[in-house]
Amino acid sequence: MIQEAVVILVAGGALALVANHLSPRGVVLSRNYFPGAVPGIVSRPVVAAPPAGNSESTNALAAISEESLKERFKAQGLQLADSNLVIQLFRDPRYASELVVFLDARDDQHYQEGHVPGAYQFDHYRAEKHLATILPVCQTADQVVIYCNGGLCEDSEFSALMLIEAGVLKERLWVYGGGMTEWKTNNLPVEIGARQSGQLLPGQSSAPSSPSETNPP
Amino acid sequence: MSAESNRQNPEPGARGSDGMIRAASLPAGRWQSRVDVWSPGVRWLLGVAFIYMGLAKALDPVDFLKLVRQYEMIQHPYLLNALAASLPWFEVYCGLLLITGIGVRGSALLLGTMLVGFNLVLVKRALAIQAVLSLPFCAIKFDCGCGAGEVYICRKLAENLCLLVLAVWLVMSRNRRFCWRHSLFI
Repeated sequence: MIQEAVVILVAGGALALVANHLSPRGVVLSRNYFPGAVPGIVSRPVVAAPPAGNSESTNALAAISEESLKERFKAQGLQLADSNLVIQLFRDPRYASELVVFLDARDDQHYQEGHVPGAYQFDHYRAEKHLATILPVCQTADQVVIYCNGGLCEDSEFSALMLIEAGVLKERLWVYGGGMTEWKTNNLPVEIGARQSGQLLPGQSSAPSSPSETNPP
Repeated sequence: MSAESNRQNPEPGARGSDGMIRAASLPAGRWQSRVDVWSPGVRWLLGVAFIYMGLAKALDPVDFLKLVRQYEMIQHPYLLNALAASLPWFEVYCGLLLITGIGVRGSALLLGTMLVGFNLVLVKRALAIQAVLSLPFCAIKFDCGCGAGEVYICRKLAENLCLLVLAVWLVMSRNRRFCWRHSLFI
């Protein structure tokens, strides 16, 4: 039986790799999807369910995350942007002319559900889909802001590191640590659907003709 | 298939190929025959479960890759990629082997071993989350990368234990009914 299991293991492993190779959504084996990741620094839950009212635990987790975030950024030489800077860049007149660019580092579903108005999508896990569009834009921009969901999300960092590797200047890149969660908490406009769809989240006023016309509260 | 089935699964009390009367009346024999009676159903159940869980991961392997990384078992990116790329399809493959009845005991042994491993890493991760959040163990809920989204840890462990029982069942079973090739080497 053990001999049989070994044969199945070897044949199955080989077939599984072939299936992955043939799948259009397969993982590229030779690619580092987590560039610059520091081992042991990202020990955190994807989702944890603190019971209602357990604010102490939640705050403790948030504090730990903030610390680990700063630690990671320092180790990777990335620039962390706070919400004031991000709002300022969003309202900057250069945003309309794409000298200031926002990149959403999340997947299709999250992007469609709501992103910063005018932000390009750059899901670095499927970089081949987006690089041709966003690389020229980033190379000509003065400032590039990259965000994902928020403090617990690393995708914005990985995207930033990939862009640096692709030739975008490190000094022009900002990673918005608060991400989409903080953006929404601040009641800033959220565009749904495709980029420049003009559709805002229900309850928000009609889409601004340019992001610079949008005023935060 | 039916000829092999009759040959390999004689009635209790019949004379076996070794010339010995089957000891159906003995408790151990009765237990074995009960295990054997249910084994086709167990085989299909376990096979379908693994095909479902494998496909759920294989359809979005990048998401699975991110979740596997959270366990911090493998630091090397290429090894991590290889695991995330192969594990979902390997589950589908083992599920198909079980359903068709090819190398049943070997497949079940592999799946059982994998389930033990899954449970160990699940417990390790849940304990790490518990240490941060100070929650009761069973209140820990996270996406374990098992193909079912976010789950409570105790429920997931119980599910895996049930699947493990089914896998052990098939390892113990000698029933070749509806099997294409129950054993690869006989």
